[in-house]
Amino acid sequence: MNKVTTLPEAVRELVRDGDTVSFGGILSREPVACTYELIRQNKKDLTVIVDSRDETVEHLLGAGLVKKLESAYVWVGVIGSGLHFRRAVEKGIPRRVEVEDYSNLAIGMRFLAGALGVPYMPLRSMMGSDIPEYNPRIKITEDPYGGEKVALVPAANPDVAFIHVQRADKMGNCQIWGMLGNDINIARAARKVVVTCEEIVPTSEIRKIPNMTQIPFYCVDAVVELPFGAHPLGVAGCYWIDTPFRKEWLAASQTHEGFRAWLEEWVLSWETHEEYLRKLGPDRLAGLRKMELDNFRIPKIVGC
Amino acid sequence: MSPACSYTTQEMMVSACSRLIRNNECVFIGVGIPLLAGVVASKIHAPDSVIVYEAGGIGAVSRRLPWSISDNATTDNALVATELWRALGDVQRGYIDLAVVGGAQIDRFGNLNTTVIFGPDGTYQRPASRLPGSGGSNDLASSAGRTLIVMKLEKRKFVKKLDYLTSPGYLGGRGERERAGLRGGGPEAVITDKGIFRFDPETGEMYLDELFPGVTAEEVKSLVDWDLKVAPSPKTVAPPTEKEIRVMRMVDPLGVVLGSKSKQEVQPFEEYFRTMKSCYESMVILI
Repeated sequence: MNKVTTLPEAVRELVRDGDTVSFGGILSREPVACTYELIRQNKKDLTVIVDSRDETVEHLLGAGLVKKLESAYVWVGVIGSGLHFRRAVEKGIPRRVEVEDYSNLAIGMRFLAGALGVPYMPLRSMMGSDIPEYNPRIKITEDPYGGEKVALVPAANPDVAFIHVQRADKMGNCQIWGMLGNDINIARAARKVVVTCEEIVPTSEIRKIPNMTQIPFYCVDAVVELPFGAHPLGVAGCYWIDTPFRKEWLAASQTHEGFRAWLEEWVLSWETHEEYLRKLGPDRLAGLRKMELDNFRIPKIVGC
Repeated sequence: MSPACSYTTQEMMVSACSRLIRNNECVFIGVGIPLLAGVVASKIHAPDSVIVYEAGGIGAVSRRLPWSISDNATTDNALVATELWRALGDVQRGYIDLAVVGGAQIDRFGNLNTTVIFGPDGTYQRPASRLPGSGGSNDLASSAGRTLIVMKLEKRKFVKKLDYLTSPGYLGGRGERERAGLRGGGPEAVITDKGIFRFDPETGEMYLDELFPGVTAEEVKSLVDWDLKVAPSPKTVAPPTEKEIRVMRMVDPLGVVLGSKSKQEVQPFEEYFRTMKSCYESMVILI
């Protein structure tokens, strides 16, 4: 079983205009290269279901590809704000986007329901708040067993999910290190899954530590080896966040025109991911790796 | 504890917030000042407190300050690396003692808005100002044992009526949380840059309880959009100690939280690399 392909091929084959899409990771392991490719192929009118997001959704909003956003949080925390999110929602630039707010646990429960193949999940958040007042898809109801109040949220089954992991084999078994976000449920909930990974490893390596396999092959449709596929964000045990790059992007994004120019330079000017990496330069990439590895390494697995 | 000779307002807020974190607590931390306060507490008076990050990192002992609730640092030397819905599910189940959150608007019952400011003709779908949304804030405010809220004191933030209630405080008063079906304890204190507010045990209404050095109750009242109640004789918050300030600056040498560097300032990559390296070197002393 060999699902290895290229990112342009995977996006061309699996994503249609109007699809509902989701992304794994949060700040760590966000599949930024996948959003670059969605922009390069101009996949339009997307409904995006996400928990908390930085670059992935900001880029798509700035490029005008999002029709509807079902989210808990969109912002570039600490170093900036949600420039593209704000422009889209407040001013309709570059296009109007419909919003639907949830809490983070609510989005997590939506993916869990999707992953389990059940229509909804109950939770104890959001009651008493305005979130359900503005989002009719959240139902406050009584637990049929005990009579207590619970909030219900509908299952999320995106058409396509993009997940970036440390390593996978050609079958699509994904081994993840560090925080897991909602990736495990997103991959199971989605109808089609594109996995990008820092490294494709032989299946015999996967077998050495099956507990680390968080996403099984049967969820996965395409596997792409894509080192630095989360740049400028980090991947635990691989590389740290490229903050200067992000600040330049934020500075350019102060205006929509500035962002378009940034897109031309950093997303539309190259043909392959390797060219993007060459543009960043080997010293910068080595620096990002060193900042991570000097601090933390994925331990070598030893047998008993 | 010897007081530090000079400190910024942000450092004062971090110090005041960190002191409300108790040892042996499981503390769920939001970004910015809460994050730094949690790390400072764990390095000073609450060494056995355990920080829980939303994306699944629990008990990280990192040589770098996490910049968010989910970056690589949140699982460095951690006890657990799990899933986001699991971490927040553990809050819902009642395992988390304390959550520290921020907000854009707050009302007298400690309810928070981080979703939207409508403006004169704005609607939810087309507001004057769109904010990030709940993130995990609503989940924490609903279900954590107790919550601390960290916010700058400004009249446009301490409002009579929220544009949108994102995260519940005491809703319309004591007892309403229970009636709404919420199990968490609700807000314990609001830490601002002028002083600390607490909540009346009978009514759930916020009152001014402690002032930062040099700040008067009148000044605070003028920055709140409702008729703020004040404790009979508000205490003065002790300024940060030298040790607290030293730890903060070691933990945040880039000034990402303390704000010593402009957020937007673009930095050459080589300089960034050197600063991160010195950050590792300074934080390793603390581990």
